[in-house]
Amino acid sequence: ALCSRLSSMRAASSCTNGQTGCHFLSLANLFDRVIQHSARMHGISNDLHSEFELYFLPSKNQIGRVSRNCHTSTILTPNGKENAQRIAREELTEVILKLLVAWREPLWHFHQNMAQHREFNNFSSNKSLEMSEMVHELRRGVQKVVEKMQMLGVINSSLGNLGSPEALLASDRAEWRLMNDYDLLYCFRRDSNKIQNYLKILKCRIIPEHGC
Amino acid sequence: MCPLFSLEEPHIELRLATFIMAVLLSSNLCLILLVSALDWLPTPASAFLIDWDRTTSSATLGPHFTDCISRDQETFRCWWSPGSLQNLSSPGALRVFYLKKDSPTSAWKECPEYIHENRECFFDANHTSVWIPYCVQLRGQNVTYFNEDDCFTVENIVRPDPPVSLNWTLLNISPSGLNYDVLVSWKPPPSADVGVGWMRIEYEIQYRERNATNWEALEKQPHTQQTIYGLQIGKEYEVHIRSRMQAFVKFGEFSDSIFIEVTEIPSKDYTVPLTLVLIFGVVGVLTVIMLIVISQQQRIMMILLPPVPAPKIKGIDSELLKKGKLEELNFILNGGGVDGLPAYATDFYQEEPWVEFIEVDEEDAEGGDKEDNYNSDTQRLLGLPHRNIEGFSAISHPDDDSGRASCYDTDLPEHDTQRLMASLLPGQPEDNETCLDAPASETGEKPLIQTQIGGPQTWVNTDLYAQVSNVMPSGGVVLSPGQQPKIQENTSGSERETQKGGKQNEDVEGIKEQKRNEPQFQLFVVVPEGGGYTAENNTQQTSTPPSTSVPGAGYQTIQPQPMETKPAATGDANESPYILPEPSQPQLFTPVADYTVVQELDTHRSLLLNPPPSQSPSLCQPQHPLKVPMPVGYVTPDLLGNLTP
Repeated sequence: ALCSRLSSMRAASSCTNGQTGCHFLSLANLFDRVIQHSARMHGISNDLHSEFELYFLPSKNQIGRVSRNCHTSTILTPNGKENAQRIAREELTEVILKLLVAWREPLWHFHQNMAQHREFNNFSSNKSLEMSEMVHELRRGVQKVVEKMQMLGVINSSLGNLGSPEALLASDRAEWRLMNDYDLLYCFRRDSNKIQNYLKILKCRIIPEHGC
Repeated sequence: MCPLFSLEEPHIELRLATFIMAVLLSSNLCLILLVSALDWLPTPASAFLIDWDRTTSSATLGPHFTDCISRDQETFRCWWSPGSLQNLSSPGALRVFYLKKDSPTSAWKECPEYIHENRECFFDANHTSVWIPYCVQLRGQNVTYFNEDDCFTVENIVRPDPPVSLNWTLLNISPSGLNYDVLVSWKPPPSADVGVGWMRIEYEIQYRERNATNWEALEKQPHTQQTIYGLQIGKEYEVHIRSRMQAFVKFGEFSDSIFIEVTEIPSKDYTVPLTLVLIFGVVGVLTVIMLIVISQQQRIMMILLPPVPAPKIKGIDSELLKKGKLEELNFILNGGGVDGLPAYATDFYQEEPWVEFIEVDEEDAEGGDKEDNYNSDTQRLLGLPHRNIEGFSAISHPDDDSGRASCYDTDLPEHDTQRLMASLLPGQPEDNETCLDAPASETGEKPLIQTQIGGPQTWVNTDLYAQVSNVMPSGGVVLSPGQQPKIQENTSGSERETQKGGKQNEDVEGIKEQKRNEPQFQLFVVVPEGGGYTAENNTQQTSTPPSTSVPGAGYQTIQPQPMETKPAATGDANESPYILPEPSQPQLFTPVADYTVVQELDTHRSLLLNPPPSQSPSLCQPQHPLKVPMPVGYVTPDLLGNLTP
């Protein structure tokens, strides 16, 4: 799915400049791919979280026990439907990208951790690897979508390049290192759901006709 | 098991700090976990989020929340129950407080909207935030009933409404008329805002026969239609559907059931005629195959069980080799009783066309290397006392080794073979042209046994085998020059044994008259390539029936090199056994034929061989009164019959 998504994204960018319809179609395509990807990512995070709960903290509902906020709590995210719809497209896109950038390193380290511990079986270890890769791929995908949107004038180009050093620096804060594994999984599960939601909302705001 | 920290070390101070904090926190967490595991803390209320806690009897429970559910991820409701303490059941006795953990300074707030008759607290959109933990608690007069498990985030408690407008259409019916497929379609629940993308829903269809107890569930999928396969005609089915958020756990309620039934449709019975047709077709095909097999039995047997090659002696009818005819054979071979040849093994002769004749080397049983043996053979041959051409010339064509491989050890005693070969020596026909080198074997493809006879060479200059270098238009054969003027070269190497036996016979008959006039002989002209038998020239059929063939037509001249005169090696067959004839030397040096074609038998049972046309027919034996055009070099078995006086 990864490769097909990326290749389709490359293919989509081969639209010539003159055809707007084609462009919008390709943008819709891009969005679909990205949304699929995010859905899958959320599914995996959900699985991992459930497994973790099952094996390590089996009996109780752990929500109340989350000892600290997630490291992404500092990122202001719309927490409701109206909020998500009222927010500007650029802001929404930026939120998505920030979230994706923020999770890249923690997930990678989580996977490294999991790979060393034998408590998690191989299946889970593969999932954690997949998850960390997906975050990376999804970020690149969303950046392509953003470029396309900027090219089409759907959003204005005020959106900075979030591959820039400051964004990376933001993700390098050590906050996430303080989280334990369960918290990390819990937080990522929540954030991946946010990402999925925001992407879908963004798409249906920009291109409402295809599959909304 | 305590959760483990993953510690990375960017900087030392940071490392230390994080390490210490991690240790502290983990220990805290471990403690909490331990405590909870021990179930040390009183739990006045049971959690609604954990299903398996419901096993505790509600009788002893205090006030607790039964459930909190959101239908559209924008609002949610919570229901509570007073538990076993009935005095709290009156409205207002219990109050709901919630904590929204969106900031560290959040406080407990009271339920924004009560619905007392349902004991329900409704949180509208303004009070609902997704992805933020909520905790709810019940408070009595002075008591707070709180369970830590009653904390949740809104997206985790979403149970979407069931889809609406469920209906079905018939897709198709199986050819057998017993099953059918149905396409079920519906619309997403109106409360779930799918159009905006706020909720992504997947659906699960379940169906069952009307009176069954267990539901069959189809695979969950996010589209608004699905196909049910394999329903049976005549039965009534009940179908309902439910929905849930993608990648979440909780399903919504089931929709109302719809009923599907398709009654029997009279279907044409296509199967019976088809079956009949098939059966007849198969039977017919089998019959045809049987017929073919029966009619072609011989061939099939040939293909399936190819016969084992066995040595054959060219020119000897297998019939003769069978029992009862030894005398005839002997008679023939001996030219009328001069010497009785021993009977050959009866197995020699077979009628396989492809069988090559077998070279019988007296010294070396395998026919192997002709060249090597040739010298001695020739010598031996030449040493034969008998000049009568009798018997046959068994000329084996050296082309290929078939027949040789069978390494047939002839039973010929040495001097018998000598005599045999002696009889092979060419005889001169009376006429130049009548020495037909009729293809010896009209017995069809009969292999020759080329007997290489050892022994003293009496005919010093005679090569038993001569190569025909050219075929004259008149039918004469130009053989390679040999020592003997009279010996005519026969074309050796003819598997031209492959003359049609029977055909030859008749032709032979017919030719009787024309024998003189018929220059036809079928020779196989082999051009010496420098030794040995040039194998290239395998010709199959050198013979056309003598009566009909154009002179020389039946021959394949491989490479006529008429002018190439090889010394006949004065009887030394070191060089190629084929000596090219020199037609321009009509004189005494008639090319010595290595192979002589037996044209006919004379009265004395001598084989008449075809001399070179220019030569004096010194070697030509008086024509056999039979005037039977013989196959070149060989006496075919059926001809033998003619030869028998």
